Amino acid sequence: MGRIWAVARQMIAEGIRMKIALVFVVLIAMVVLGLPFSVTGDSSLTGAVQSFMSYGLATTGVLLGMLTIFMSRSVSDELVGRQIFLLVTKPIPRWEYVVGKWLGITLLNAAFLTCAGLTIYGMVHYIKRTHPPIDEQFDAAELNNEILVARHAGKAGLPNFMEDAELEFQKNLEEGLYADQPKFDPREEKKRLTQKYEARWRVVGPGDGRVFEFENILCDRSPDNTIQLRYKADVSQYPPDEIYRAAWQFGDAYKGTPTYQVPTRHMQGRYHTIRVPADAVAPDHTLLVRFYNYNPYQDEAPWPNVIEFRASEPVEVLFTVGSFGGNLFRLLLLMLCKLMFLAGVAMLAVTVFSFPVACLTAFTVYVLAGSRGFIIDSLDLASVDKANMFSSLREFAVQSILLVFRGIYWVVPDFGRYDAVEDLVNGRNVSLVWVLQAVTELALLKTVIILGLAILFFYRREVAEVSV
Amino acid sequence: MPLDARRFRRVNVMSEQVIPVVQTAGLCKTFRDFWRRPRVEAVKDLNLEIRPGEIFGLLGPNGSGKTTTIKMLLGLLYATRGRISVFGKAPTDVSVKARIGFLPEESYLYRFLVAHETLDFYGRLFRLPSRIRRDRSDRLLDMVGLRHEARRRVGEYSKGMARRIGLAQALINDPEFLILDEPTSGLDPIGARQIKDVIRSLGRKGKTILLSSHILADVEDVCDRVTILYGGQQRAAGDIAELLRQRDVTQITTPPLAEETIEQVRDLIQRLEQKDILGVSNPRVKLEDFFLRIVEEAQAANIRTSGARKGGEIPDFLQKPTDTPRELVASLIEAASRKVEALPVEPLRRDEEPAREVIDDLLGRKRPEPRPEEAAPVKTPAAPEPERRRERPAADRNVIDALLGKSDGNPNTEADKKSGSS
Repeated sequence: MGRIWAVARQMIAEGIRMKIALVFVVLIAMVVLGLPFSVTGDSSLTGAVQSFMSYGLATTGVLLGMLTIFMSRSVSDELVGRQIFLLVTKPIPRWEYVVGKWLGITLLNAAFLTCAGLTIYGMVHYIKRTHPPIDEQFDAAELNNEILVARHAGKAGLPNFMEDAELEFQKNLEEGLYADQPKFDPREEKKRLTQKYEARWRVVGPGDGRVFEFENILCDRSPDNTIQLRYKADVSQYPPDEIYRAAWQFGDAYKGTPTYQVPTRHMQGRYHTIRVPADAVAPDHTLLVRFYNYNPYQDEAPWPNVIEFRASEPVEVLFTVGSFGGNLFRLLLLMLCKLMFLAGVAMLAVTVFSFPVACLTAFTVYVLAGSRGFIIDSLDLASVDKANMFSSLREFAVQSILLVFRGIYWVVPDFGRYDAVEDLVNGRNVSLVWVLQAVTELALLKTVIILGLAILFFYRREVAEVSV
Repeated sequence: MPLDARRFRRVNVMSEQVIPVVQTAGLCKTFRDFWRRPRVEAVKDLNLEIRPGEIFGLLGPNGSGKTTTIKMLLGLLYATRGRISVFGKAPTDVSVKARIGFLPEESYLYRFLVAHETLDFYGRLFRLPSRIRRDRSDRLLDMVGLRHEARRRVGEYSKGMARRIGLAQALINDPEFLILDEPTSGLDPIGARQIKDVIRSLGRKGKTILLSSHILADVEDVCDRVTILYGGQQRAAGDIAELLRQRDVTQITTPPLAEETIEQVRDLIQRLEQKDILGVSNPRVKLEDFFLRIVEEAQAANIRTSGARKGGEIPDFLQKPTDTPRELVASLIEAASRKVEALPVEPLRRDEEPAREVIDDLLGRKRPEPRPEEAAPVKTPAAPEPERRRERPAADRNVIDALLGKSDGNPNTEADKKSGSS
């Protein structure tokens, strides 16, 4: 470890003295120190804080990603400048050299991230202190209760639609409705029926209601504490004022909790949050929520409407599980995991290629990792057709390329999966499990694979090789 | 590809002989183009053996394969064909590298580190404890005359100063085997002389040194054996005294003689040998010695300079005996042979014996035929004396000084000063 640490220390010393590092650090400083004075969001206090965090963290992530790639230039420089001659003639195995360089870059990233994180934390509180809220009751409270916290989101369990689907399927079967279907697949049909029942459940007709049951609401149940219901609904017909009226009820009298009635006037097609005291949660950490599609405001004209809760926009119950500081810290850890992988990629690239090519390669991987979800979806659409793979030369070429892409994407992680900036900005908990997943996948598994490849190439490389 | 380290290990276990520090057999290196087609055969079928404790010179013009050979010895390049072992193991073996010090042809140092940081960094790679790193760094900087510039970035150094730091880093681990590629290149005569002093001093302490240089005088000054490469192939090899001996000339060195005495000797030689004296002259002081004397006078007058200053003593950590039993035996044998060379009577006998031979020849006396291996030390008066031999009187002076309790602080410099002006 002594020699790895020696190389890492040397890398840190070099990184600190690199002009390019200075440029990036100044850029990051300009962003995190300058944004609070220029970003206003929707002019509310909450909006200003959210915009600052969103832009500040995203810019920091991108700039540090670029800096990571540029810092790997150290290895290229040592190969070109031949400092490597003095290194590899010392009793240091090449793997220790590669790991030492990677460790140095990672520690520099950790230091830069810590500085950026502390500055962002400080500037958020600076904005909170200096930016006037639109109103104390909503704007300031929203910031404190919904943004500068770490909230866990519980999703409602759905009724079991498969029983109804099975009953209808048997009935249809007995009635012979499927007899004239030559390629009839019972599993597909049951799936279709299940989806039909779910879609029917998600639509609430005028005067009708729905029950949402939440489990594992592990919050502090004191009445001083609050929980939040967050939802978005669509309506079949726009009311003249684009506002639909409905009523919500929280709590389960059968379990001894108080019940809270909340009439709402909400704009359709937008997310809304309803805050209720946390003692609505039952002692067994369940929460019963009822929705009624009727107008509780008797003095306002009724507008009977069909309301739909889409599957892609589920109703959630949010409750505080941690602080903003802890949440920010975990987000920075996620960012560090991505940078660790990227540093590994950059190390692999510079052990194989000259710096310009290595730089391009690492940037490509960075972009591919960032857009992996989108590209994987594209590849799934053009999925490998093994049966017809050898039908023609063209087909073989296409399928082979797809297979290669799939291989690459097995190693290249999905950075989007570990992008928690939006969660932090919305006060969502960046869970420790999420961080552990990132550590396992990015820092341990894939970085080790990539560094292993870098070491393999570096061992095979003649550092004094001359191509004539 | 790196050579198989296990193969060398097996050979060593079975062999009872002292393992050569470097051994190559049929070593070849071919450089290829982008398409992997062989283009240049830099080293061809090189068989080399460097024995423990010797100072070995690798000579050759540009492109003769010297540096390529050194790079293969260090694992920077892999041999295309043939075998290569360093301390009986593959050059890529990490344990081998712990015993090697390397000064490349240029100082490939980190420009952003200061001298202290540089030495500390390389010391860390040898896992030297912090106290030892600090101590060695200070003493090596003293040795190379850069203690006062230890806090300057290496990037700001002149080429010569960077070479000195390069030498210091090569010695940080007290190496058993020192590889010096063009060590005096870019150095002023003072630096070059200091490096030669260091090489000689380390050689006396039993270190094995491989020296590659274009400056033939340097090689001649310090090396025991040399190999001359041309076109990647070995053209000549052997003991330097043996290779350079001029068998067709006899040189007699005496204190100044009167013109009449010279004429009488000339007549005597013509009468007895029917040969003429080729030349009679007062030998000149070497320019190097003259230059160094001027600089030393300036240094004694404390004239300010921003460059490297006079180097200090060779740190004693570089002079300690080696540890392993086999190396201890080798170093004792080496030391014993060197002690004989340093005997006070040796220079007198050297001066007397050729004269007696000449007189015997002049008088027509018959002498027993010397055995071939004994012939070399006797018949060398005409050849330029290797530096090591010219050191003997100075070494004796040091011993006497030490016995009398005197110390000038730099016995090696003193020795060379004496030998140079004699």
